[in-house]
Amino acid sequence: MSKHIKSIAVLTVICAVVSLLLAATHHITAPIIEQQENAKTNEALLVVYPDGGDFEQVDISKYELPSTITEAFKSENGGYAIKVTVSGYQPNMVILCGIDKDGVVTGATCISSGETLGKEKTYGENFVGKSAKDYDSVDTIANATYTTQGYKNAIKDALNAAVILGGGTADLRSEEEILADNLNTALPQANGEFETVLLLESLENIDKVYTALNKQGFVFVSSENFVATNTSGKVLGETDATLKETVENAASKILEWEKNKIDLTKFDTMPQAVKEAYKNSDGNFTFILHGAGYGINGGDKYHPASGKPIVIKVVASKSGKIISCITLEQSETANIGSACGDEKFYSQFNGKTENNYSQIDAISGATITTNGYVTAIGDVFSAIKILKGVS
Amino acid sequence: MDTFKSLIVILLSSVFVNNYVLTRFLGICPFLGVSKKLNSATGMGIAVTFVMVLATAVTWPIQNYILGEEYSYLQTIVFILVIASLVQFIEMALKKFIPSLHKALGVYLPLITTNCAVLGVTLNNLTETSITTGANFTYIESLVNSLGVGLGFLLAMVLFSGMRQKIQESEIPESFKGLPATLIAASFISLAFFGFGGIVENIFK
Amino acid sequence: MKKNGSLYTLLKGLLLENPVFVLVLGTCPTLAMTKDLISALGMGLAATAVLICSNIVISILGKFIPDSVRIPCYIVVIAGFVTLVQMLIHAYVPDVYEMLGVFLPLITVNCIILGRAEMFAAKNNVGKSALDGLGMGLGFTLALLSIAIIREPFGAGTFAGMDIPFLKDHTIAFLAQAPGGFLVYGIMIAVVYKLTHGKAPYKKEFSCDNCPSAALCNKSACKAKEEN
Repeated sequence: MSKHIKSIAVLTVICAVVSLLLAATHHITAPIIEQQENAKTNEALLVVYPDGGDFEQVDISKYELPSTITEAFKSENGGYAIKVTVSGYQPNMVILCGIDKDGVVTGATCISSGETLGKEKTYGENFVGKSAKDYDSVDTIANATYTTQGYKNAIKDALNAAVILGGGTADLRSEEEILADNLNTALPQANGEFETVLLLESLENIDKVYTALNKQGFVFVSSENFVATNTSGKVLGETDATLKETVENAASKILEWEKNKIDLTKFDTMPQAVKEAYKNSDGNFTFILHGAGYGINGGDKYHPASGKPIVIKVVASKSGKIISCITLEQSETANIGSACGDEKFYSQFNGKTENNYSQIDAISGATITTNGYVTAIGDVFSAIKILKGVS
Repeated sequence: MDTFKSLIVILLSSVFVNNYVLTRFLGICPFLGVSKKLNSATGMGIAVTFVMVLATAVTWPIQNYILGEEYSYLQTIVFILVIASLVQFIEMALKKFIPSLHKALGVYLPLITTNCAVLGVTLNNLTETSITTGANFTYIESLVNSLGVGLGFLLAMVLFSGMRQKIQESEIPESFKGLPATLIAASFISLAFFGFGGIVENIFK
Repeated sequence: MKKNGSLYTLLKGLLLENPVFVLVLGTCPTLAMTKDLISALGMGLAATAVLICSNIVISILGKFIPDSVRIPCYIVVIAGFVTLVQMLIHAYVPDVYEMLGVFLPLITVNCIILGRAEMFAAKNNVGKSALDGLGMGLGFTLALLSIAIIREPFGAGTFAGMDIPFLKDHTIAFLAQAPGGFLVYGIMIAVVYKLTHGKAPYKKEFSCDNCPSAALCNKSACKAKEEN
């Protein structure tokens, strides 16, 4: 028995002595290790903020920052180095961004990511010297929409965070939220529900037009100004005279289009691609078509489908001949299917009839886009027959 | 579903991509020493897997709930003692309750105490991060990782024992007989495992 | 040279009883830490420090430790010194700390250290044990360096981190990776065998004689192994 006790005692004593010795060493080395770790962090921060000097970690829980900010360090020169975690093609893309006291990006680098291409490592260099005004203008990484967007979101959040950390206030709203707020301020009666009005022709000095879903009026966007009108095209509220004139001119155009619009719900057999039809004063028809190109029928994991149709405007005569054809909107793959937005492509349909509309040069490498486009044009001819049968 | 997927990714990558023996050089001694015969290789592999999972089940909570940041310098010493006692305890328990299993695996257990793969996996579980979440391993992820490492060890042992039986029958220059030839064979099998690199991460995309 | 003289105790580790090439101990760090010279040197010196200290302490304590708890006590002492060295390296040479990674705490289970404690320090006096630790440690370091000096220049095209002009552009990348470790180590053992005319690696196989765990298992595993 005493043998066992001796064994236990010896082992216990050795354990205790060793633990004490380690505790003592830890006491000495811990501060040195900590200092070293700080120096290492500092060095990593200097990569994105070369003139940063010494950094001090900021307790970010004290501020209301974008939720993507994971760490922030204040430079002795007044700027910040900010760590942002965003989603690129894969979740958890960590970007470290340096911003000086004037809000200019001093450097950005991707610390870790599951991206597939590797270009995200150096992409951050393009943001050097940019600020909140122009960071969005940086060229995208070719074939990496998600990575690019993730990067830009990260830079945007970092810029906002730097402003807030510096004691200022920043607009944390996303672009959609800003738009919704502007529309709501211009026309509160609409209860925040708007729809974009498709412009048949471009309107002078007007960028975009929105209509209230509850038919309370329109909102016109003219170089950042949001002006509301009632349903009869009269400007609501106070605005300066020129702007008022521009908007009311535009409104009268829109109302004229509305008047010519044919109610398609009356025709059960109307082809799918035809979304809107107008009977013009000269007797011709104007059609708005939605072509199902790559955005609808295509898509793989590298080039995701946008889910958006190709919007085409076609003016055709009663006899079934295309007078003009133009692509209004498209979100096909950049540099491939996007050629359907070029005049070279869509002008091919001018003068075509039911018999020869498909005899055009296809867009090389974009079969799905071409097919979707041509099918939509084909629907114009059946639509004309249906409309003629009635009127 | 996503959690399940990430566990599968962890398991497969620790078996194939980050095979401890063949790509990380942990647990080489038993790999070279006990792989001469297929049954001993299998027995050792199963015993190691068993101990790895149990050791992780014990050490992960010790680190995260008892030692914490403050006392993490006692990590090595605590872990090795825990593993050593655990192995002794398992041996005694097996002997008493499942003698047939003890007969099959018992002889390999003592060898495992100083197996660096076991201590290595318990230490690595605390610092490694999951590919899918980017965060440190959770308790379940640690257990799955240990299981994968153990199975990877078993796989390497079994494959290698087959290879060694071939070597024994072949004519080798005198200087290369024995260990050198074994090591060169290990080099080839390790090269073969390189082929798994990048596969697992992309299986579930 | 006298077989039991101090000089022999010190020098035997370098070649005749080299822990890596002759006794074939500590294979894990040997393979993992020979990718480049700096980590080979770091690992070698760290292990040497632990080896000397643990040898000294164990040769002093040897008389007081009951046989039944011998191995646990040795392990505690060794793990203590390993942690000590780990903290010192972390504090004063952080770059080396990063390089060694998990293999630094794993010195605890390096067979050389437990093996020397069991086979030498427990039976010899303090002075001799220290010399044995130093000799074995240097032997281990030299062995690591000799493998690294092949793997680093040809595998990565660098020498202790500095670029070598021609080799940098013509690397044999696999030498710096896992398979290269096994290959070079295997060839080195064969070369040592050839150079010493078959005398040095008198144990070119793994056996209980070299395995420090043998004491734990009363050689039962090895017996089972041999019977199979």
